[in-house]
Amino acid sequence: MASVSIENSVANAKQKRSKPSRLAPNYWPFVLPALLVVSAVIVFPWVFTLWMSVNSWTLGQPRTFIGFANYVRLAQDMRFWESLWHTATYTALSVVLPLFFGTLAALIFDAKFPFRGLLRGVFVMPMMATPVAVALVWTMMFHPQLGVLNYLLSFLGIGPQEWIYNQFTVIPSLVLVETWQWTPLVMLIVLGGLAAVPREPYESAEIDGANAWQKFRYLTMPMIAPFLMIAVIIRSIDAIKSFDIIYAMTQGGPGTASETINIYLYNTAFAYYDIGYGSAMAVVFFFIIIALSFVLLMVRQRANWSDMETK
Amino acid sequence: MATVNIQNIQKHYGAVKVIHGIDIDIADGEFVVLVGPSGCGKSTLLRMIAGLEEVSGGEIHIGSREVSNMPARDRDIAMVFQNYALYPHMTVADNMGFALKLKKVPAAEIQAKVKRAASILGLEALLDRYPKQLSGGQRQRVAMGRAIVRDPQVFLFDEPLSNLDAKLRVQMRGEIKTMHQRIGTTTIYVTHDQVEAMTMADKIVVLHGGFIEQIGAPLELYDRPANIFVAGFIGSPAMNFIDGWVEEGVFRTTKGLILPLPQAVAEKMGGRDLVYGIRPEHIRASTQGIEGRVTLVEGTGSEIFTRLDAHGEDIACLFRERFDVRFGDTVFIEIDPSKVHLFDKQTGRRI
Repeated sequence: MASVSIENSVANAKQKRSKPSRLAPNYWPFVLPALLVVSAVIVFPWVFTLWMSVNSWTLGQPRTFIGFANYVRLAQDMRFWESLWHTATYTALSVVLPLFFGTLAALIFDAKFPFRGLLRGVFVMPMMATPVAVALVWTMMFHPQLGVLNYLLSFLGIGPQEWIYNQFTVIPSLVLVETWQWTPLVMLIVLGGLAAVPREPYESAEIDGANAWQKFRYLTMPMIAPFLMIAVIIRSIDAIKSFDIIYAMTQGGPGTASETINIYLYNTAFAYYDIGYGSAMAVVFFFIIIALSFVLLMVRQRANWSDMETK
Repeated sequence: MATVNIQNIQKHYGAVKVIHGIDIDIADGEFVVLVGPSGCGKSTLLRMIAGLEEVSGGEIHIGSREVSNMPARDRDIAMVFQNYALYPHMTVADNMGFALKLKKVPAAEIQAKVKRAASILGLEALLDRYPKQLSGGQRQRVAMGRAIVRDPQVFLFDEPLSNLDAKLRVQMRGEIKTMHQRIGTTTIYVTHDQVEAMTMADKIVVLHGGFIEQIGAPLELYDRPANIFVAGFIGSPAMNFIDGWVEEGVFRTTKGLILPLPQAVAEKMGGRDLVYGIRPEHIRASTQGIEGRVTLVEGTGSEIFTRLDAHGEDIACLFRERFDVRFGDTVFIEIDPSKVHLFDKQTGRRI
């Protein structure tokens, strides 16, 4: 019995030796560059941020380990909760509005009409502009005295607005810029979806008695739902981490009326040099984004009729 | 159920005319097959009946209603498409009940009707599946189920079996015919497959180049084809056509082949240029008669298909009896004169 088991183990050892290991040294040269880059630009900053978040470290002063004190401080920081609310509002509006207008534009551009290609090209132009340039142009347009928007409103008999200079209108104004710039992206995604939608079911629906609205409601919408979900995911992640436009236009102001988490953590870390507290904020923000991504991916899975495989 | 009357129906795309004034009367409960080669206008005609294609001229009546310019949704018809055209994001049950849902039929009634149709088609176990989770045959059945649930006045089928493999096609052919016999709804069925047409139809309409070549019962078309096109299209393998003339009571070809004719015909047709038609299955193997060299042999077990070179004429033969015949062999064949078809060479019409 004992001899049998020894023979078996010897045979197993031989088998193992003959099979090349996945981590054999001859593979390392191929893996190493990627591993180095990923470690340097993703793993290291992450671990460093995590480490900083459990330290008290203001630039120019010695660092001390303080455990979860930064997180406790964060939970009690009203300015942080306020910025969280601003982020949520800004993100929600920056997803819903481009989604609505983008879908509408896609439906329009899906139909055939003269100069469609040219107009499509013009429509996607805002997407190509640099956010800071966009911010500067819109800042001028929003100017209460010199801005073109108030001038245009005067034709409609509406008095001058304060746009980004008013605490109540600043977020909607910023969302307007975001919507202007990113509606074309949603339009392109949905347009791709519409092109992929099979045409035959529409003939079936015609015979089944569906009118134009019913075809849109029961066929088009469910069939482009997976594409809408992709647009929602891209827009949500983009909007929640939006920084450039807000910083260039308002820097979180007036006061803290448009201060999102990103702006607040930037100010904390790089204006007040409180690196430890800023890092804790970054870690919390990271988990919020991860949680949001999971929710969106789950919803996407449910919306994706085209992934139904044969059981 | 309803009658369908098509009167002088025409279709043109700009200057191109694809259907040239067609008249068809379809009786209540009849199973009519529109058959013809690709591009003959059969699918266009069906789509005009469905309301998916505009009518350029003429009238279509379903029952007592003139529907030529009526939207498809108001025509009370159901259609089964070649590619099934199921709603990909809906389950089988939802696919089948969609038309009733649009009509705001109560949910319980929809469920009952879907169940009934599913039991007719053997789809009960698949009601919760999505089209992507079904095989081709199952999808085809769902498409039929969707039509049955509607309980329409007319069923339209647009080459519904083309995407199925040969075995499944035979099975589904039977199922469609059984369904028609059970439900009895007037049915218009488009196919390019003459076997489908012969096996399923009460009445066949043979179309060619946007014209009707012949309308009739399957056996009528087989036994008495109106012209060379119908004679060649109906029947598999296709009929043999040999050019020649009648002289001294027999049919002679330019290459010197002599073929038998019925006595009565032979006396009348002297001197005219004709086309001699004989179906491969109406040729018998014999120990004497027309001599030919075998150029092709295809055995299927139940029959042997051969091609012979007889005095330079290519003759296809289908033998039911089994015998040993090989490429290059010399064989003798006999033709039953009563099965011979003669066509005018100029007009192509039957004589």
